[in-house]
Amino acid sequence: MDISQYMGMFLEESREHLQTLNNCLLDLENDPGSLAVLDEIFRSAHTIKGMSATMGFTTIAELTHEMENVLDLLRKGTVPANDDVTDTLFKCVDTLEQLVENVASNSDKPIEIKPLTAKLAAIARGDFSAAPNKQAAPSMTGLSEAEAVSAEPIKFDATEIHVVKAAKQQGMECYDVQIELREGCLLKSARAYMVMNALEELGEVIKSIPAVEDLERENFDYSFQVVIVTGVDSERIEQAVTSISEVEKVCVASSVIAANQEMAPHAVAQPERTLTNKNDKQPLKDRGEKPAVNDANSNVADKKLKSGQSVRVDIDKLDSLLNLVGELVINKTRLEQIGITHRLAELVETIEQMDRVTTDLQAVVMKVRMVPVGQVFNRFPRMVRDLSRELNKEVNLIIQGEETELDRTVIDEIGDPLVHLLRNSIDHGIEQPAERQAKGKNPIGEIRLIARHEGNNVIIMVEDDGKGINADIIKQKALEKNLITQAEADKMEQSEAIRLVFLPGFSTADAVTDVSGRGVGMDAVKTKIESLGGMVDVETKINEGSKFKIRLPLTLAIIQALLVKVCDEIYAIPLGSIDSTINITPENIKTIQSQEVILLRGQIIPIVRLSKVLNSPDTCVHNQDELFVVIVHMGENRAGIIVDTLIGQQEIVIKSMGKLLAGIKVIAGATILGNGQVALILDVGALKQ
Amino acid sequence: MSEVTYSGNEVQLVVFKLGREEYGVSILQVQEIKRMTDITRVPHSPEYIKGVINLRGSVLPVIDLKKRLNLPPMDYTDDTRIIIVKVEDIIIGMIVDAVSEVTTIDQMSIEPPQTVVGGIAADYLTGVGKMEDRLLILLNVEAIIGIGQEVKAG
Repeated sequence: MDISQYMGMFLEESREHLQTLNNCLLDLENDPGSLAVLDEIFRSAHTIKGMSATMGFTTIAELTHEMENVLDLLRKGTVPANDDVTDTLFKCVDTLEQLVENVASNSDKPIEIKPLTAKLAAIARGDFSAAPNKQAAPSMTGLSEAEAVSAEPIKFDATEIHVVKAAKQQGMECYDVQIELREGCLLKSARAYMVMNALEELGEVIKSIPAVEDLERENFDYSFQVVIVTGVDSERIEQAVTSISEVEKVCVASSVIAANQEMAPHAVAQPERTLTNKNDKQPLKDRGEKPAVNDANSNVADKKLKSGQSVRVDIDKLDSLLNLVGELVINKTRLEQIGITHRLAELVETIEQMDRVTTDLQAVVMKVRMVPVGQVFNRFPRMVRDLSRELNKEVNLIIQGEETELDRTVIDEIGDPLVHLLRNSIDHGIEQPAERQAKGKNPIGEIRLIARHEGNNVIIMVEDDGKGINADIIKQKALEKNLITQAEADKMEQSEAIRLVFLPGFSTADAVTDVSGRGVGMDAVKTKIESLGGMVDVETKINEGSKFKIRLPLTLAIIQALLVKVCDEIYAIPLGSIDSTINITPENIKTIQSQEVILLRGQIIPIVRLSKVLNSPDTCVHNQDELFVVIVHMGENRAGIIVDTLIGQQEIVIKSMGKLLAGIKVIAGATILGNGQVALILDVGALKQ
Repeated sequence: MSEVTYSGNEVQLVVFKLGREEYGVSILQVQEIKRMTDITRVPHSPEYIKGVINLRGSVLPVIDLKKRLNLPPMDYTDDTRIIIVKVEDIIIGMIVDAVSEVTTIDQMSIEPPQTVVGGIAADYLTGVGKMEDRLLILLNVEAIIGIGQEVKAG
């Protein structure tokens, strides 16, 4: 089989399931008894196992297989979900991630899974360090026969109850048949089908757990349960099923019915239960559905339903779709111009309608590219957990607004800065539990990761309730590193001083830890955010905590810009960095040490002549009587850009100029105007040199 | 050298003119040939980069091939064409004086560049093809685009 065509799908789905595993393991840690979570973990591990086995990645399959063994015991409650076990499982997920990335990068770097599989096997044998845990489940050996066999009754719905009652009146019996397939059995669905067939010959199958569709899709582990109404006795049923190959065990019991459903499950007597065991090695444990699982299933079903309504699309395809829409808009503008020049009223009317359609189309395409920020956020709980453990701190991560949507291009870029900020908060912000207690705070620190919309921006905040940033220490450090002078430090306000953390090379940590303190963090964050057209700011209060606030544009692909003309060349200035536009006369321009400046409402603003910055051809003539100045801000600073003409505000589609022209200073990209001409977008931040 | 794979012994070339000389690039590298169009100047880019054009919605750089090869400049005419080439994942346009034909040349009749003595740096060539009474200068597009060497802004 040529598997390469499924490779993309395999990688994508594996990564998704690994993410689920990570999330669920975190949930499990908080709620070790939760069957719902365990089931989901099991499902994900199982899916990865199936996929990797099909694709021939045996190492992945092997590891997930071992994981399943342990997970299965966790589900049965014979192994407790204690720290040792969850840690091992986390390690498994990490190793799986590496294995999957290896597959992705086509690397044959060997990854040793022996220690992990050995550990898993040990856990499965009951050999784990019994770290204190809220719920110590009974050990496997402690299970008495009676306990092992006891099961909760199957829940029936009204019609099923009716069928069963009617059958009983006709002298028929209703049985629960518990079938366990041999482990590693291939074509489970086929076996299940044979079992169903055999049973249907004997009577009427009224219910199966899981449902028939799930059986057909192999959506079950190695056991399932069938309820059958039949005239024959339990032995016949047993015989019929055991005769099918690869059936490990069959257990037939007369069904406990409806009327008992409201009763406490354990109080139900289970008469006439026979037990067959093909190889009699271990006591059969019942896998009847427990009520909790029902709830869990409905939860999972809800989630499935949501994801089922979306389609996975290659981002490249979306990009080309956006390009095509952009083309359409440009061509529409051309048609408009033709209509106007040749005075074709009919054409103009038609184009007006087309205009509406294209505008809508563009909006839809943009919306399609929007992705919830949760995609990035959901990898942080794991990171925070690992980090806080490493640093012996206790941290509670609260995530809000993960449904906030951002353009895909921004989403891809925002992860790293957030990692830096979170690491920073855990390492520098949150104090050790004892220290917190001494300050009268909750020993468990709290970090909030919040996303929300604010106008045309998205705000992402990383807030901690740690010790805050001490402006004086910052100043001191900055002085030591010669980043500022003493005079600057003296007149610097607290809020200004705190922003020093964004300077390159700045670090307050006295010792470099594994986590942070190398002084590469914050300025990298700032640069990255600004390259995305965003801003980052910080607020802090000593002993109350710090708040890093990132403001990002909704999308990088389409922005509002002001088109200006310099020497017959058209340039676009992103509206986000424009404060205002003003008209001045040449007399308004003063100089300070040969730097041209203007006074605007009492503020001295340096002037940049765009034609000079852009090395415009000397031949062009500037209008000297009236000058157009675009006041822009670059972070804290402002500057006035002198242009020849203001054309107007317009929505522009940002296009990359390709590798060859990447990194050209002053130019941030290009866009295509209505007439098909290319206009360059100015990088305002790079204008002032 | 060039990553172009030649099938059999024959190479298919797009032949174009720069001044009075004839040049060739492998047809496998050529995406399309375009008439002269509006070119937007890019400030602070290398001198041989004429600017950027709009090719059906994507923006791509166009280089003045003669400037790149240090050949004397000539005004653009009706015959001037932009050859769009793709090397690795870089797509660029090259301005040439005229495109004459697509032809096939035997691999055996290509002389390696070190034996060539001429105005153009040997780095930019993959060789010279001999065709009866004509000589085709075969361009090394990778070198011309500058793959492997950083384009210095300014």
